[in-house]
Amino acid sequence: MAMKGKNCVAIAADRRFGVQLMTLSTDFQKIFEINPRTYIGLPGLATDVQTLSELFRFKTNLYKLREERDISPKTFSHMVSSTLYEKRFGNYFCEPVIAGIEKDGSPYICSMDLLGCINHAKDFVVSGTASSQMYGTAEGLWEPELEPEELFETIAQAMMSAVDRDASSGWGVIVHVITQDGVMTKTLKARMD
Amino acid sequence: MPINEVKPATGGFSFDNYARNTMLNDKGFKAPGVIKTGTTICGCLWKGGLVLGADTRATEGPIVADKNCEKIHYLAPNMYCCGAGTAADCDATTGLISSKLELHRLHTGRQSRVVTAMTMLEQMLFKYQGHIGCALVLGGVDINGPQLYTIAPHGSTDKLPYVTMGSGSLAAMAIFESRWKKDMELEDAMELVKDAISAGIFNDLGSGSNVDLCVITKDGVDYRRGYDRPNERVQKERSYKLKPGASTVLTSSFRKYVEVLDGDAMDTS
Amino acid sequence: MADRYSFSLTTFSPSGKLVQIEHALNAVAQGVTSVGIKATNGIVIATEKKTPSFLVDDETQEKVTLISPNIGMVYSGMGPDARVLVDKARKSAQEYKQVYHEEPPTAILVKEIASVMQEFTQSGGVRPFGVSLLIAGFDETGPTLYQVDPSGAFWAWKASAIGKNMVNAKTFLEKRYNETMEIEDAVHTAILTLKEGFEGQMTESTIEIGVAQIVEVTSQEGVKSKVGRFKKLNAPEIKDYLANIA
Repeated sequence: MAMKGKNCVAIAADRRFGVQLMTLSTDFQKIFEINPRTYIGLPGLATDVQTLSELFRFKTNLYKLREERDISPKTFSHMVSSTLYEKRFGNYFCEPVIAGIEKDGSPYICSMDLLGCINHAKDFVVSGTASSQMYGTAEGLWEPELEPEELFETIAQAMMSAVDRDASSGWGVIVHVITQDGVMTKTLKARMD
Repeated sequence: MPINEVKPATGGFSFDNYARNTMLNDKGFKAPGVIKTGTTICGCLWKGGLVLGADTRATEGPIVADKNCEKIHYLAPNMYCCGAGTAADCDATTGLISSKLELHRLHTGRQSRVVTAMTMLEQMLFKYQGHIGCALVLGGVDINGPQLYTIAPHGSTDKLPYVTMGSGSLAAMAIFESRWKKDMELEDAMELVKDAISAGIFNDLGSGSNVDLCVITKDGVDYRRGYDRPNERVQKERSYKLKPGASTVLTSSFRKYVEVLDGDAMDTS
Repeated sequence: MADRYSFSLTTFSPSGKLVQIEHALNAVAQGVTSVGIKATNGIVIATEKKTPSFLVDDETQEKVTLISPNIGMVYSGMGPDARVLVDKARKSAQEYKQVYHEEPPTAILVKEIASVMQEFTQSGGVRPFGVSLLIAGFDETGPTLYQVDPSGAFWAWKASAIGKNMVNAKTFLEKRYNETMEIEDAVHTAILTLKEGFEGQMTESTIEIGVAQIVEVTSQEGVKSKVGRFKKLNAPEIKDYLANIA
């Protein structure tokens, strides 16, 4: 899940990794740093999550060497989109969420389906197994122009409420709030069942 | 991958995961759904040009994935294209064709023709035998005047004075059939298209939110994003802002960005 | 066998030269002069349009070409070779746009073209391109002017000239150039540079000028923003500049 605030964005994910109903790991990384101001969340099939995170690390490193600059969140989302669409007929099972701060300081969030159709939203985007729950909680809690601290509380509560009603999500939540001066990372106390 | 083969993707589909996905599917893995634009899209001719219209709802199964998505895609300065069906396919297909048209324009030094775009789309969709799931309404003005086409996912085309596509096409067509007349004025045409899309928005569950319009004449394009917004969410009466500390935090860290500034040159003497 | 190193493209001469590349540079040096000047707020590139006979319809000739909305180029040397490069450059720009939904930065496009030209100095069954290019672009980092040679070597310039009269033209530019020049002055200077060693009458149909500059565009949502754009000057515009000089 990612949310826009006032000159800041937040991105959050749960930390469970499991095979159907059996939980195997409670510190699984689903959010990856692309550059200091851009993060990507990759919910989906674990093998694809890791393949894609490595692929994007590779692609953005190459971009940085080629262009001598960090990729902007918007440009990055198009890179992700074309990477996914390339595999239109043999897709990755992953629906990425991207959050970041643009060069001019404006917040950027987007989500994608597994074929790379970008969804730009003015408020929040959600993705993954608990997405239908998250739509509800986020729709209820989100407000425009939230400050970083308020944004954190909003996304934390929206995330926890949704995750608690999804059997295959949970086991801890991690939140990154990307602001003008830095990135605040917090892990939340959540239900471990 | 050998390092000298490393370069950005330059187009073409990759079927690498196809066999794996078939295997996963056979074993009962349920893939996440794709975003579709349930959609009402339409267009009609009027005296001086044409009007394209679209709703702005994108759905993933029964869930509204995007309440305000853009379905009228740019193809050329004199041509736009509404897309219904698999959203990623519509985005990618119109993007590819607009790129081809731009190259064609640079090559010929002339304005793109609507038939050219129509033929490109038709051939591409036919080639993929309906696996690229876009149903399109293509509209543009060139030296042959304003033209409207529909292109179905398998590559069949129609050229008509008023057209509708998508899950709300029946609702929209009902409006056109009862009210469209030859040589209408611009205001009447815009009103008609707005009503046709609204019929889709209110009667088809796959369509919703706002009406986007795009008026194309020989003099240019007037793109009206959010021409009508009949479904604005009302202001919340109370603020549910959470107080700091509402969530119990286990660990917390803050990482400041490293600012890279141009320093003095290193003394190498 | 005195010229045995000039036969195979990919064989170095004992003195460490690839003579085919030098021959290609000679082809450029026989080509019509082109100049490029970097101004504070843009880039100007210009060239002479030469026809072998006045019977040729010069309206169909185009030497200053658009690659992408913000990048244009001009060549000196062999026209057909340049056309191949223009096609490749345009395609490369479109490929970049397909992936990033963004116009390629000038530097990236120049590297792309330069690597094509380099490939043709090291592959079998081909010859180097008989052209040098001046590429003008305006991107996030501002205006930039690049020159690319048949070897695939490229440089960014404040002002440069290629083709037949390049030595004189560069001397002229060294005298005339200053860092505070704006587009208007740069166009004048470019025309004056071309005038040095110009054969025949200079009119709006015998020169071509292209300018990369900032323009204001309005997006679909009605948001105004300033972006770099490359445009060719049309005949009346060139006529005005020429009238001001004479």
